[in-house]
Amino acid sequence: MFEQPASAPEPRVLAPEGEPIEFIYRGHRFHIHNILSRWQESGGWWNRISDGALHNSAHLEQSIFNDGGRAIWRVEAAPVGALATFEIELDELTGKWIIRPTSRPA
Amino acid sequence: MFTHLHVASGYSFKYGTASAGQLVERAAEFGMSALALTDRDGMAGAIRFVQECESHGVAPILGVNLSFLQKKYRITLLAQAGSLPALYRLVSAVNRDTANEKVLTFETLEKFSQYSSQILALHGPDSYLASTIAARRDESALSIFHSAKELFADQAIEVISHRSKGDGPFSIAHAAKLLGFARKHDIPAVISNAVRMLDRTDGPVADVLDSARLLVPLHQRHIERSNSEAYLKNEAEMALIADEVSRAAGESNGRLLLRTTSEWAERAILSPRRDVGIGSIHLPEPQMFGAQRHEELAEQLRRRSESGLHRYSGALSVQAAQRLEEELATVRTLGYEAYFLAVADIADTARSKGIRVAARGSGAGSLICYLLGISGVEPMSQGLLMERFCSTLRNELPDIDIDVESARRLEIYDAIFERFGPERTATVSMVETYRARHAIRDVGAALGISPMEIDLIAKSLPHIRARNIGKALENLPELKNLKLDTPLMKTAIHLAGRLDGLPRHLSMHPCAVLLSDKKLLDIAPTEINASGYQMVQYDKDDVEAVGLLKLDVLGVRMQSAIAYSLQEIERVEGTKIDIDAIALDDSLTFDLIKSTRTLGLFQIESPGQRELVGKFAPQTFTDLIIDISLFRPGPVKSDMITPFINTRHGFRSKPVIHPDLDEILHETEGVVVFHEQVIRIIALMTGISLAQADEKRRELGTFESQQEVCDWFYPAAISQGYELSLITQVWEILRAFASFGFCKAHAAAFALPTYQSAWLKSHHTAAFLAGVLTHDPGMYPRRVIVDEARQWGIEIAPIDINRSEKSYCVEKVNVDGARPPYEAPNTASTGAILTLPDARGYAIRMGLADIQGANEKEIDSILANRPYVDLADFTHRSGASAPTTKALLLVGAFDSLYVGQGINRRDLLLHFHDLDKFGRNKGGGQMALQLVPSTLEASGLPDLTPAERIRHEVDLTGMDISHHMMEFYGEFLNSVGAIRSSDLIHQRSGATVLVAGVKVALQTPPVRSGRRVMFLTLDDGYGCNDVTFFENVQGDHANLLYHSWLFLVRGVVRKTGARGISLRALSAWELGESYSKWRSLSEVNEMKVGDTGE
Repeated sequence: MFEQPASAPEPRVLAPEGEPIEFIYRGHRFHIHNILSRWQESGGWWNRISDGALHNSAHLEQSIFNDGGRAIWRVEAAPVGALATFEIELDELTGKWIIRPTSRPA
Repeated sequence: MFTHLHVASGYSFKYGTASAGQLVERAAEFGMSALALTDRDGMAGAIRFVQECESHGVAPILGVNLSFLQKKYRITLLAQAGSLPALYRLVSAVNRDTANEKVLTFETLEKFSQYSSQILALHGPDSYLASTIAARRDESALSIFHSAKELFADQAIEVISHRSKGDGPFSIAHAAKLLGFARKHDIPAVISNAVRMLDRTDGPVADVLDSARLLVPLHQRHIERSNSEAYLKNEAEMALIADEVSRAAGESNGRLLLRTTSEWAERAILSPRRDVGIGSIHLPEPQMFGAQRHEELAEQLRRRSESGLHRYSGALSVQAAQRLEEELATVRTLGYEAYFLAVADIADTARSKGIRVAARGSGAGSLICYLLGISGVEPMSQGLLMERFCSTLRNELPDIDIDVESARRLEIYDAIFERFGPERTATVSMVETYRARHAIRDVGAALGISPMEIDLIAKSLPHIRARNIGKALENLPELKNLKLDTPLMKTAIHLAGRLDGLPRHLSMHPCAVLLSDKKLLDIAPTEINASGYQMVQYDKDDVEAVGLLKLDVLGVRMQSAIAYSLQEIERVEGTKIDIDAIALDDSLTFDLIKSTRTLGLFQIESPGQRELVGKFAPQTFTDLIIDISLFRPGPVKSDMITPFINTRHGFRSKPVIHPDLDEILHETEGVVVFHEQVIRIIALMTGISLAQADEKRRELGTFESQQEVCDWFYPAAISQGYELSLITQVWEILRAFASFGFCKAHAAAFALPTYQSAWLKSHHTAAFLAGVLTHDPGMYPRRVIVDEARQWGIEIAPIDINRSEKSYCVEKVNVDGARPPYEAPNTASTGAILTLPDARGYAIRMGLADIQGANEKEIDSILANRPYVDLADFTHRSGASAPTTKALLLVGAFDSLYVGQGINRRDLLLHFHDLDKFGRNKGGGQMALQLVPSTLEASGLPDLTPAERIRHEVDLTGMDISHHMMEFYGEFLNSVGAIRSSDLIHQRSGATVLVAGVKVALQTPPVRSGRRVMFLTLDDGYGCNDVTFFENVQGDHANLLYHSWLFLVRGVVRKTGARGISLRALSAWELGESYSKWRSLSEVNEMKVGDTGE
């Protein structure tokens, strides 16, 4: 499993009803054929306290209590040809998408 | 319509993050028609939840989520209509099963199958059944399911998906597996969300609670929660999950799952009235009083009340008989005969055991209570009203409170349980909620903040709500030095605020006992509490809601102190005093009160009260009632006291509003002080009954209904022929003072022990103070009471190994020396000369119980083996430990054995070391050494100095026994010109003076403005100085005031009345430090003098 390079353009995910159906990854458009699993994650807020982001008390509530909620779909998707497996993650606080190809078999 | 069948509120202690009210409100917002409450391991939130449901139009479902089989699993149980008593009884059985750590077992289920067989069971993802299914052991799972069939009314598989990662419990895959099993074997399946939070954003609060419950710091490894899905989801969100799980299990959608859930919800819906019993009433049956029918109870109550009427004579007896008829009619209408009879029985039982009992509260307003001997205050001459206590219009149960000797309170509990049996009696619980200190401690521990740092903050916090911590920290100057603006501390404070008000655990209500019929165990879940008493899991409001009448049995230390004093008087003087029969107009007693030397007295010993009695100079028992009523935050703040005092002392003419009202307001100089006065005024001016008037008075308490009362009052009073201007004037008074008024019956009930304690202090000073020292009823430390005794000329006899008892005893001694320098201060305002008692001729012998570290068994053994001839004898036979013996020696307990032998305490100490060594060697079997203890002889070493003696006394007993500790600073204090507290009265108002003393009390009463005022009381051996620190001087001194105990204070004198005097502090120093500086300075001066001499 590897992260995208920091300089990579932000991934674009098409999810008209909340659930992703298409996305662009490294310049290629992928169509999702199958959702293998999906889950929710959050927590670890206490590790973020001392990172300096909380000096302003106005941000305190937001930073702690959004608690890094993430929705994750493990999907099979293909541009053309063979299917590949990806994890698509939605950061529920910022609305940012992260896409990770995953080596784990379906 | 979706119904949540599995919901934990904050009553799932340290697990649920939302209150029952918040959950119900949210469900109502979602348009849900029903909601379940299934708290973990108990049902303490049930009544509150059902009441919330009623007011939000949501149908309640009650259940419980129990720990199952060695705490490895959990199971959710739901009552069906009509089977709530069975659920209560099962929960009670589990909660009493301490052998299994209050965990449900199959044995319990089998033993109590008559109950469990009426109950619905849900097997969720963390159930025994689910774990067997997940382990792919379908056959065993199926046999578990079938074998449990006869234990429950019905069972279902409970499917829950929190969309957790992987395939463990609460994941979609796991849920689908359970659903698949249910479908395959034709078992009903329902879906829930195992709710523990109101919103997604409550996750961190849940984490902190988990951490506090499991006692581990927050770490990924310890956290149960992998996401925030366990919140109260709406119907659409639940339908989505149902679809997701059903599809994963191979169905086309979640409809069947949702439909079964609705059907099960329907079966479990309860009626708040019929099932839960809201609004019912339960009183002991007539049979408990030897009667067959309720009518006979009424007859019995009448007979017993009438037999008390002989206490009245003349015209009053006619009035009393008439009033009794009215009160009996009220009781009859309400059907409360059994309650009055039960309380009367309990009071009689207490007296037959020689335990002092007194009614408190509004119950003293009832003539029946007086005639039955429940209350000692005569209600008619005091204008006390039954209607304030209990009326047919009131929508709440009357509440009789009785005060008993604190030391014997549990004997009363035992008597009640014996009389009415555990099927009718239980103690009541009290919900401990998160307040500031606990909140910050638990959050701090969770976040891994150093225990010392957290401890410092927690200890500094006043007892406030957790959500106010931030504000408090800003306002407390002594906390300025703590680094509170780091992200970590800010987070901690913020989170602590989120814990505000969440329940932490149940404890026993300090005084409430239920008196019910034998239905009790069917209407409330019970447990056995830490003190071994049966306790319902409901709090005092809950029990009232389901019609359980309670009796408050309050332990009052003063009653124990009075009882002890009476015993001492009988022992020493041979006189038996009936304190409840003394006349209430004793002038010596009132002189003592007026002198403000009220230390040790009930209710009137605090600095503020001493100031008030000084200004007020109470002359009669009624005055005492007024004094107690005035000394409360409301009247003090709204300054009701000044007009009253001014009129009383003739500085102002009494306001006469209207002749009709004069009779009502006469006793309080035209000022409205009592609830009873408000009731009478309303009744008089509008022509309604007293009971109706009390309803109006209650409505005055809230701002909204006040306007309604106003709209009614004007026309009603006009129709009685009163002038508009008068009505306006009276309305203004009612509006302003109604909320500050005090129940006179309550104050009168308090005034009785106040008077009795004052009477004892005036007539039997030594015996009374011995009682106060033994039972410690008041706000002052013992050493202040010891000093008080010394000031009255009572000798303080040291602990003596052959003469001391466990507690403080009075001894007669020869009067020597002059009368104590104790004058009644200035009496100019009344011109009266006060007579103060001469308490000489007595000593108070210190007790053995005060020796630090000595335990009860040791003391009993010392007492049993008396007398002792010398230290060796004591060491050999007493059974006292070496540290205790040494402590006794150091405080002079052996001195009387060696009078005139030239042996001092230092010699004894050396001798004791030898004895101790010898004793230990002997015990160790070292016979070969042939050690013989040395004989006691004078070593020639100097004896302990007086200063050393006092230091030992203070260290080992907490008291300065031989002298007042301020005596050592005498020379210093004289040289700096400090004023004795007894001379302060001669200072003019506005003068700046220096005073000194030992800290007796430091109070910081809550003030609405938020500005803190600190009241410091200093004892200097001549009385007390009361010093006020306002905000402007606190910053420099708050720390000093909290952490030191000897002070030198500069302040400005403020006279507040004939004998009222206090100081406004300008600055303060630690006395010891000032003393050392002065010492070194005077040494320097001496050297200088020496220099010039050369």
